[in-house]
Amino acid sequence: MKQEKEVLYGLYDDEEILLGAVKAAKAEHLEIMDVFTPFPVHGLDEALELEESRLHIAGFIYGAIGTLTAFLFMTWVFTRDWPIIFGGKPYWSVPAFIPITFELTVLFSAIGMTVSFFTVCGMAPGRTNPTLDDRITDDKFCIAFDAAGAGEDMLNRLRSFFSQTGASEVHLKTI
Amino acid sequence: MEEKFVFDSKKRWVLGSGMILGLLCMLITFFKDDELHTRFWTNYLHNTVFFVGIALMSLFILAAFTTAFAGWSTLIKRVWEAYALFLVPGLVLLLVLIIGVWGHWHHLYHWADAEAVKTDKVMFGKSGFLNKYWYTFGTIIVVGAWIYFAQRIRKYSVEEDANGPGEDFSYHRKIRTLSVIFLPIAGFSSAAMVWQWVMSLDAHWYSTLFAWYSGSSWFLAAIALTILLIIYLKAQGYMPKVTANHLHDLGKYLFGISVFWTYLWFSQYMLIWYANVGEETIYFRERLDNYKPLFFLNLLFNFVAPFFVLMRNDTKRKVGTMVFASIVVFVGHWLDFFLMVKPGARLTALEAMAHHAGEVHDAASHGSGLPFAMGFSFPGLLELGTMFGFLCLFLYMAFTQLAKASLVPKNDPYLEESLHHHVV
Repeated sequence: MKQEKEVLYGLYDDEEILLGAVKAAKAEHLEIMDVFTPFPVHGLDEALELEESRLHIAGFIYGAIGTLTAFLFMTWVFTRDWPIIFGGKPYWSVPAFIPITFELTVLFSAIGMTVSFFTVCGMAPGRTNPTLDDRITDDKFCIAFDAAGAGEDMLNRLRSFFSQTGASEVHLKTI
Repeated sequence: MEEKFVFDSKKRWVLGSGMILGLLCMLITFFKDDELHTRFWTNYLHNTVFFVGIALMSLFILAAFTTAFAGWSTLIKRVWEAYALFLVPGLVLLLVLIIGVWGHWHHLYHWADAEAVKTDKVMFGKSGFLNKYWYTFGTIIVVGAWIYFAQRIRKYSVEEDANGPGEDFSYHRKIRTLSVIFLPIAGFSSAAMVWQWVMSLDAHWYSTLFAWYSGSSWFLAAIALTILLIIYLKAQGYMPKVTANHLHDLGKYLFGISVFWTYLWFSQYMLIWYANVGEETIYFRERLDNYKPLFFLNLLFNFVAPFFVLMRNDTKRKVGTMVFASIVVFVGHWLDFFLMVKPGARLTALEAMAHHAGEVHDAASHGSGLPFAMGFSFPGLLELGTMFGFLCLFLYMAFTQLAKASLVPKNDPYLEESLHHHVV
């Protein structure tokens, strides 16, 4: 299923100009759909009033699941299912379990976070995400507004916002 | 940007009384002690090595950050410069230990007992390295070299303040050259020195991981003390440009290196536990039999607490949690060194005293059921007082150095980057 979106976006040449524009948009209560930058811009998250990502909380939970999985599985194997004596050590040899417990913690949290991130971003193998403009991964800084259903007044207001805040180009695009 | 730290009489008075308290504790320890003054000397060695290590690691941090083009830390580098110069009084403290080895003031090192070495195969085999000459000249030359680097780096840094960055940043380039030369020297020589000072207390035992493990311990103590001093200075109204962002990065070091320390601690333990070779396991057998509470407290203070407290972003940016974590880690690594120093030296002393009393002793009888002894099995008030005295001495020296130069290295080429440092 393909969803069509009508987007009005402006391109800026510099991240400082972009930051100023974002702040101006906030002051004018314009609803920004998204901002695209070629690199992380300091202060942009605050300017956009974005919530802190919860990905790391998910990462902690996945990691904890990994810890428990590894530790409990080894405990079960070496005490119930198939007890073997290694080098005269007790069946339940905690120090020997630690490296694998550590590895599984890292593995679970890494894979879990990757999958979560892809899911939240709507990315998957075979899916293509339309790009507004190729240059937003190179040297342009972009503010995008949702233009679907926006009347002529609104579009004009947005265009004048772009010209006032120093955008070098403004485009209307359906993706 | 010039900012002067004033080491006023009130601070001098507080730190001075702290030192006197420490001295008093050491005197009480000395006169209450056994015939070899084991408790006194182990405390002395423990704290000397601990604070010399903090000074060394401060210099290491300076050199490593300079080499790595780190810009964020420029605003706080004067703290490390001041810490690093504690190496000078540190060498004096070490000289007392060295003279003690020659003059038989103390009986810390089993390998220093010429008669025991003659009949002991293992120690005889190690006597090429574990001997008085290495101990003396190794310490003087190596710590002397560290002092050389600390003073040169400091000198150029202060001159940069006075004369500007110089043509083509000549001062910074000089500091960089010194840093690059210092890093490998520090890497190898600190290992050799910690073998001599600490690992050789258990003269029969060795671990190739030991230098890394104790080095990371020093590093963490240095970072914790840095955080505490910066928070103190900020509370006093100094360093207004140091923000939560700088604290955040220091917190990352405290967190990350704590995990690194745990990795090393555990690797050393697990390999020895797995291989189960008698002369290696003795180290942990001894500690698990007679020092169990400390053994686990060590892990609690140095891994569990910093790991869970500092895991989140916001706890690294708040003064309260950072002070808590730093104090726990600082005390934790002091305990860690306590546990490296005390058991071995205590056995050596017990053996020597038994020998004096004419009892036949057996090296294999090490370990089983030593009675609880305050100051060995667990640090008592006298140990804490001694540590406090050393800490006050350390801070006194650091404050003296801090007051000698601007707190902000105003002509450092990376200053601007540090002023705009921004994480998250």
